[in-house]
Amino acid sequence: MLHVQGLFFRYKNITVLKDVEIGLNKGEILSIVGPNGAGKTTLLKSIVRIVKPDKGTILIDGKDASRMNRLNLAKCISYVPQALPSKFPISVFDAVLMGRRPYIVWKPSKKDLKVVADLLKSMHLESVALRDFDQLSGGQKQKVLLARAFAQDTDYLLLDEPTSNLDLKHQMEVMEMISGMVKKKGMAAMLAMHDLNLASRFSDTIMMLNAGKVFCTGEPSQVITVENIKSVYGVEARVNRNSGHPYILPIRPLN
Amino acid sequence: MKKLLSVQVMVIFLFCSVISADLPARALQWQAGGITADKNREKNIRIKDAMGRSVEVGLPVKRMVVLTSDALEVIRALNAENLVVGVNSGIARDTLFWPGLKDKPTVGRWMEPNYELIVDLNPDIVVGYARHPAQDMEKKLSPFGITVLRLDFYKIRTLLKEVEILGRILEREKEAGQLTGWYRKKMNFMQKRLKDINDRPDVYVESYSKHQTTGPGSGGHEICVLAGGYNIASNFSIPYPQITPEWVLANNPHVIIKATSLSNCYAMSRPDPLKSIRNEIMSRPAWDNIRALQDDKVYVMASDIWTGPRAIIGTSYMAKWFHPDIFRNFDPEKLHKEYLRKFQGIKYQGVYVYP
Amino acid sequence: MEDICQQYQGVTGRKISFIILLALVLFGVSIIALSQGPSSVGFRESFAALFQDSGLAHGIIWKLRLPRIVMAIMVGCGLALAGTVFQAILRNPLASPYTLGIGWSAGFGAVMAIIFGAGLYNEYLIAGNAFFFALLSSFLILGIAKFKRSTPETMILAGIAIMFLFSSLSSLFQYMGTMEEVHEIVFWFFGSLSKVGWKEISMASVMILFPIPILLKWSWDFNLLAAGDESAKALGVNVDAIRMLGVVLASLVTAGAICFTGVIGFVGLVSPHITRMVIGGDHRFLLPASALVGAVLVLTADILGRALWAPQVIPIGIVTSFVGVPFFFYLLMKKTREYW
Repeated sequence: MLHVQGLFFRYKNITVLKDVEIGLNKGEILSIVGPNGAGKTTLLKSIVRIVKPDKGTILIDGKDASRMNRLNLAKCISYVPQALPSKFPISVFDAVLMGRRPYIVWKPSKKDLKVVADLLKSMHLESVALRDFDQLSGGQKQKVLLARAFAQDTDYLLLDEPTSNLDLKHQMEVMEMISGMVKKKGMAAMLAMHDLNLASRFSDTIMMLNAGKVFCTGEPSQVITVENIKSVYGVEARVNRNSGHPYILPIRPLN
Repeated sequence: MKKLLSVQVMVIFLFCSVISADLPARALQWQAGGITADKNREKNIRIKDAMGRSVEVGLPVKRMVVLTSDALEVIRALNAENLVVGVNSGIARDTLFWPGLKDKPTVGRWMEPNYELIVDLNPDIVVGYARHPAQDMEKKLSPFGITVLRLDFYKIRTLLKEVEILGRILEREKEAGQLTGWYRKKMNFMQKRLKDINDRPDVYVESYSKHQTTGPGSGGHEICVLAGGYNIASNFSIPYPQITPEWVLANNPHVIIKATSLSNCYAMSRPDPLKSIRNEIMSRPAWDNIRALQDDKVYVMASDIWTGPRAIIGTSYMAKWFHPDIFRNFDPEKLHKEYLRKFQGIKYQGVYVYP
Repeated sequence: MEDICQQYQGVTGRKISFIILLALVLFGVSIIALSQGPSSVGFRESFAALFQDSGLAHGIIWKLRLPRIVMAIMVGCGLALAGTVFQAILRNPLASPYTLGIGWSAGFGAVMAIIFGAGLYNEYLIAGNAFFFALLSSFLILGIAKFKRSTPETMILAGIAIMFLFSSLSSLFQYMGTMEEVHEIVFWFFGSLSKVGWKEISMASVMILFPIPILLKWSWDFNLLAAGDESAKALGVNVDAIRMLGVVLASLVTAGAICFTGVIGFVGLVSPHITRMVIGGDHRFLLPASALVGAVLVLTADILGRALWAPQVIPIGIVTSFVGVPFFFYLLMKKTREYW
């Protein structure tokens, strides 16, 4: 279980995160939603210690993350940032192989290669395996980074906006890969999401963040409500619950 | 990328220009046209300067700024030191050698003087090298009625003609005649003895930097040939090329001459600086196979007597080193003493060669 | 499935073959360099002389040609390695010892030691001072990269500023110096392999060879840096430490490569690019291959510089640019892959 307790983060004089509490169980997908600037990205970065929180503890299966070194942390949590690398002069296979970095000393083992090959195959990236990363489409790039995170073979997977900038099909593919992997391997995933409908469709739990504070947490049907969207996003919306998952239809911004 | 390359290229050119600027001894295809006196000689004369240009000089010259120490030496030999009103900043570093000039105002570096200071001194003429300072000196100074005279005095072939020209300008023909006469006499003496030699020793002349020799067009080549040596770089096409140590080894010269530009040789009482330069050559890897090192014929010579009006002294030393039998009773140091006493009015001292 | 693995291993095999090929080329070029020279020691004699322990040929081979070759190889390796590391650390294709101004400041340090250590030519002083100044400007650039928005442009601009600063300082030395010093500086900036003996080589080799295993060990980290700082951190790279130590080591290598030989500029920039165009950006292969490319470049340039206008030598710094630039342009025009 990934447990975030009383997390605070300040940047200059602005409090970006304020007393954030999260409990994430294996086999679950947690989506963090909230307007721009709510602190979603900072929250993920604090957990993988790309930035250092001012206060609070992160417990990974009971162990304090701040006492682990980077390499051991990388064996527990994988992270895919939102921005794609602008230039990444390396082949797709090598890019995914990087996920094995925490386990490799210098030469990748047979097992490392097999893990990468299996992933590439299951994610339908075989045909581009030896191409350069830079030559891929945005959707393929995102999949490669996802594959890299899977190759890292961690219990916890943190993804920052994995579907932004993707077309409809790639959005669905990526989300299905994530939920498939979570179910198959008993991982836990934490996603920062903009698309409330995708979040509602694929998440076990949704946490709505507003101005660095947890606004509410719960099952999608509890969180995605007309009132919550109104007070957090300032948008008048309709919520459709016919298909099992709440589905929102935004109408207009409120002033 | 392109920007970077252009920076690199620019830098290379910069360095090229730096080195060319710092080696005044570069060949100048100049042939002195002598003096073509005007009709109203007392007012103006026309001379051909070291650039081969015709320059009109108003006489008499009463005040002059001299940018080169070579010219200053000739001026002192012509007994005209009292006409000098400004000198380059290097003179102040060598006050022992220039007792009469050490308090003169300085106008900056020989290759880049301060024109405002020159104008302030209100001279009739400014004397510089053919190539230095750059041509803008004329443009800057002519509006003030200051004539720029470019005379080199560092090349032994053209030295005497330039002395005569300066003699005319300063109306010191008699003194100029004495100097050139003395020079010719000593030169003839040397050439007469060297006339019958049938073998010239192979000589490696090393310029100021390590593994940089002096090819045709350089002063080093000129005096080496004059002194009866064969410069192993005779067929080179650049005056100051880099060479490999192996090339010297392959040519196995009889004599090695190393030029050094140590300043203040006149004030030096011990030969140690020259000695350490020589030791460095003696200890170069694999050079112990060279004849010059085996026969102990490695000599270091200061630039004071290498180029400039005293090139004859340097040439004499070389001649003696190249042909010890012919010049057994000849003492270049005596020549140096005579020159300093007779033409410079100072006593002989300092260290100029080693050993 | 086995298929991709095999294909990948095939690609890896080709990279290794390329490195072996480069090593062979370097060996071949070294043999040419060993047997070429103005003296009568030709091809066969030079090899015989390798195993003699006295005589003229022995002296020529062991004291003149070999040190030159070894130094050329080390300088090429060092500059190329430093260039590769700077490019990886700063994630900047324009980075190299000279474009970042580090070569110039190391050069200034060496020149300063040569002039102020007047007379007592001391290789420790020269190397140490070169390293000190190399570090100084490296940290300056690192600082700019850390505290300012570190776009490639700002870093290169900072590098060019540093280059101008230190070349101006060197010019100031020239301006104030005696003739002797002026010539020393001018010739230093041309670059020359002639002045190097075994003593200098041993000094330089410590500075160049000692960091190599460490840099190779960090190959993965350099690869990950290309993916971005965040990804690298998440994959277990101690980004700040790698960057800091990488700069220190690359500066050490730079200082070692140039403190006794002078300005040999273009190698550090082009070698990594040439190599990347051929085998891609995996530093496990890129680092050794680009070091070999640099060595081949400098050694070839030295052979050409000695042969083209023999026996006059065209300074090595000039020839490397003349050899490297056209070759680099050729690859730029020809390349199909998009590597930076």
